[in-house]
Amino acid sequence: MALNTLEFHLKIDEVTHSIDTPIHLGVVGSGDMEVLMEPKELEGAVSVRIVTPVAGFDELWKRVVEKFVSETLLGNVHLEINDNNATPAVVLLRLRQGFAEATGK
Amino acid sequence: MSTNTTEKKWDRRSADTAERLAAASRYIGPGKQFKPEDTVALLEAVIHAGDRVNIEGNNQKQADFLAECLNKVDRSKIHDLHMVQSAVPLPVHLDLFENGIAKKLDFAFGGPQAARVATFIREGKLELGAIHTYLELFGRYFLDLTPKVSLICAYKADRQGNLYTGFNTEDTPTIVEATKFRQGIVIAQVNEIVDKLPRVDIPADWIDAVVQSPQPFFIEPLFTRDPALVTESQILLAMLCLKGIYAEYEVKRINHGIGFLTSAIELLLPTYGEELGLKGKACTHMILNPHPTMIPAIESGWVDTIHCFGGELGMEKYVAARPDVFFTGPDGTLRSNRAYAQTAGHYALDMFIGGTLQIDKYGNSSTATGTRVAGFGGAPNMGCDAKGRRHSTDAWLKVGKEMPSLDRQIGNMPRGKRLVVQGVETFGEGRAPVFVEELDAWKLAENANLDLPPVMIYGDDLTHVVTEEGIAYLNRCADIDARMAAIRAVAGYTDIGLQAKPDETRQLREAGIVKTPEDLGVDRSRADRSLLAARNIRDLVTWSGGLYNPPARFRNW
Amino acid sequence: MPKWKDLQEQSFLESDARARAIGLLDEGTFTELAGPFDRFYSPHLEVLGEAVEFDDGLVAGVGKIGKTPVFVVSQEGRFIGGSIGEVGGAKMVNTIRLAIEFHDELVTKYPDLSDEEKPVVVISFETGGVRLHESNAGLLAHAEVMDQLQKARHKVPVIALIGSKVGCFGGMGFVAAATDAIVMSEFGRLGLTGPEVIEQEMGKEEFDSSDRALVFRTTGGRHKYIMGDCNALVANTIAAFREAVAELAALPVAEFEKLRRIGSPEAVERQLRGVALAAEMQPKDARDVWAKAGNPDPVALTDMPLGEFLAGVKRLSV
Repeated sequence: MALNTLEFHLKIDEVTHSIDTPIHLGVVGSGDMEVLMEPKELEGAVSVRIVTPVAGFDELWKRVVEKFVSETLLGNVHLEINDNNATPAVVLLRLRQGFAEATGK
Repeated sequence: MSTNTTEKKWDRRSADTAERLAAASRYIGPGKQFKPEDTVALLEAVIHAGDRVNIEGNNQKQADFLAECLNKVDRSKIHDLHMVQSAVPLPVHLDLFENGIAKKLDFAFGGPQAARVATFIREGKLELGAIHTYLELFGRYFLDLTPKVSLICAYKADRQGNLYTGFNTEDTPTIVEATKFRQGIVIAQVNEIVDKLPRVDIPADWIDAVVQSPQPFFIEPLFTRDPALVTESQILLAMLCLKGIYAEYEVKRINHGIGFLTSAIELLLPTYGEELGLKGKACTHMILNPHPTMIPAIESGWVDTIHCFGGELGMEKYVAARPDVFFTGPDGTLRSNRAYAQTAGHYALDMFIGGTLQIDKYGNSSTATGTRVAGFGGAPNMGCDAKGRRHSTDAWLKVGKEMPSLDRQIGNMPRGKRLVVQGVETFGEGRAPVFVEELDAWKLAENANLDLPPVMIYGDDLTHVVTEEGIAYLNRCADIDARMAAIRAVAGYTDIGLQAKPDETRQLREAGIVKTPEDLGVDRSRADRSLLAARNIRDLVTWSGGLYNPPARFRNW
Repeated sequence: MPKWKDLQEQSFLESDARARAIGLLDEGTFTELAGPFDRFYSPHLEVLGEAVEFDDGLVAGVGKIGKTPVFVVSQEGRFIGGSIGEVGGAKMVNTIRLAIEFHDELVTKYPDLSDEEKPVVVISFETGGVRLHESNAGLLAHAEVMDQLQKARHKVPVIALIGSKVGCFGGMGFVAAATDAIVMSEFGRLGLTGPEVIEQEMGKEEFDSSDRALVFRTTGGRHKYIMGDCNALVANTIAAFREAVAELAALPVAEFEKLRRIGSPEAVERQLRGVALAAEMQPKDARDVWAKAGNPDPVALTDMPLGEFLAGVKRLSV
């Protein structure tokens, strides 16, 4: 019954973006999530930790975060997510909002 | 000449009706009025076992008192009725089958009772004629499904028995005309009996008996969407629709579905729509109920004409104060009419846009689930290409011109096509995928012994799919393979979407068959609630200058 | 987070707890205490397999409005209805405690401080009270907050702001009542037992919680303003709430005694007169009381634009 924790690393070839300051965004409402984005020296990789009450979507999470990382060319960042059943569309929305805030884009 | 001619009777229907009304005459007083306490007895006098009976009630007003009384008749006398009616949203509509009073059902929309319909079919309590669209069912009222007795509802009757159906006229004229002019019997429940009606919607000589019901009829504010509940994802989809479809095709004649996406579009018209320069070029003529979320666009001068299927609670005064836009009577109040609105919806629209629960890999879509016989009401008539349409409009022609496959069907003959748009988030509630390998409608067909899976919109009618991934312009696809590829490309992380091939998607984008928000120049970061012209019901009241009077359940001040 | 300037005209009703906290204070002055990066989330929810939030649904911090140091607590209704558990409760208690300690230190060091230079506490309520998942800890937190409110009395004014979606109910309704001043918008609701619970216990005939018009005219900002249960009714923007706080913050602490609804023999007398009036009137609806207060057309009060309402409404005096 405990919460599910999912941890993984992603690395893409051409990292061009990192972030300077840590960002927090989102509220863990129903169907929503929050994310912490923190700069971290990871040799260009992105480390991800997701805590969610919903089990069985590990592959989906990886694919969605992978898409986010590959479109933003993000590296050297630690992402930490508290989820409450957010859909992939909402996950991408929040991650993109967080990235925009972190990079001023 | 046959000598039998003199013996042949040609007025058996009216004779039968006269006989039944004679049996009921002791309950009917001046002005065709009868007492509420005599209702069951009156129904027992005018209805016979096996009759075809209509209970009025669509998704808004309901002849609920008469329905309750029908459920109390002596079932040893009255049984095996064949119910022909638009919708079965009230529990009592299904209780009639549970109790053996009714046997067969022909309808269009199940609403909250959809699960019981499926169960009763399986248990043999209910024999399903067919699930229709409203227009289809109305058509059959005038051909092979004419009711013998119809139980209808109106706001007011006068002392002669004339009826005022006003704002919520809805299905009444259609039912009454079919029933009365085929020598049937029409019984009306009204909220009040007055000396003078605001106007006569149904003349007294088309009505046989009138009762003032103990409670006003039940009516559901089904088309009120609280702007407070519109999400950022829906706003993004609405922006895509406005830029990628409304602006691209300059669509003027539109029906909006009931969901939150179309509410979001309505609330973006005075903001994002204005910015796109669409005012006067899109959304000028609408077939829709008086959606409260249309108020900001109407007030901003977007809309020329709105014709309504039915009314919407709380919008009475607002509509009456905007007779340039709405169809109102000499008395100043709206007259809705579902049959005419659906006719316009079928023939005169350039676009139908709405949502759905599931879309399969071919583009067929349905709101049916495995255990609910819901029906689709009017959506299929609007969500299809009207094959009988012969007038042209720019938007309709443009969609046709973009179709590479048209010449394979009609050679070099030009023809247009209606825009049929489904806007969905790739995952719905509880992370249920909207794009699926096979619709649940197949399971339903099996569970409820239906002839075919109930499909709301068939893939060949669907021209555009909008998701958070972008827009698939299915009308630009040459064949079913291309359509399936385009659907995959916007299906996100669903199993269908995961089958998309990056190369294929790139080619589709290059060909303008698929456009992402970036391709369309839609800035995702602007998909924010601050873009809504009204962000709560209170704002709508303010926009309306205090004319909109929202129902109690929507008030948060 | 939107820019501070954009936050000012943002709907208070729609703003999340952090936006309210930041926007209520002067630009750039907010420092969060035990914020999301400190990851003080609920250990109880984690064990139960329920979603957690890094700040446990409660934003605490300190900043300034003009010359006034402001300690702010802001509850997040979208996270489990803004309910108070162990972590959020502790953050609330300790923010008030910190304000009192800061006050004591400040006045010892600088005995000549003006009223507006002394600290205040602002609580932006959005809660139904105790978080049922961690009920004992949540109840204890309520008691400790009450204790801190008593300790703050006559030193650090505590100002309640209520204009968020969930309203302020349950144990936190008691807490709000025990503050020094209450500012509401027409979208705010204040009560003890929530509408759904009243319906569940007493039946739909007694109180139909789905009739939101009824719920709001019984617990909402306009009604509370007429009844004197809140001190100010403001527009639904962060700026409007901020302005109300700024006005209050400049008052001498003794002035707050006049704004309180409970906590003195005079206030108790007044409450008792209200009870007597209710017994005499047997009102069937809040509108009966509005009429009694001297409003000839109570029905019109609900939809009237706010400015017009404030200019013309008669408040109940007992």
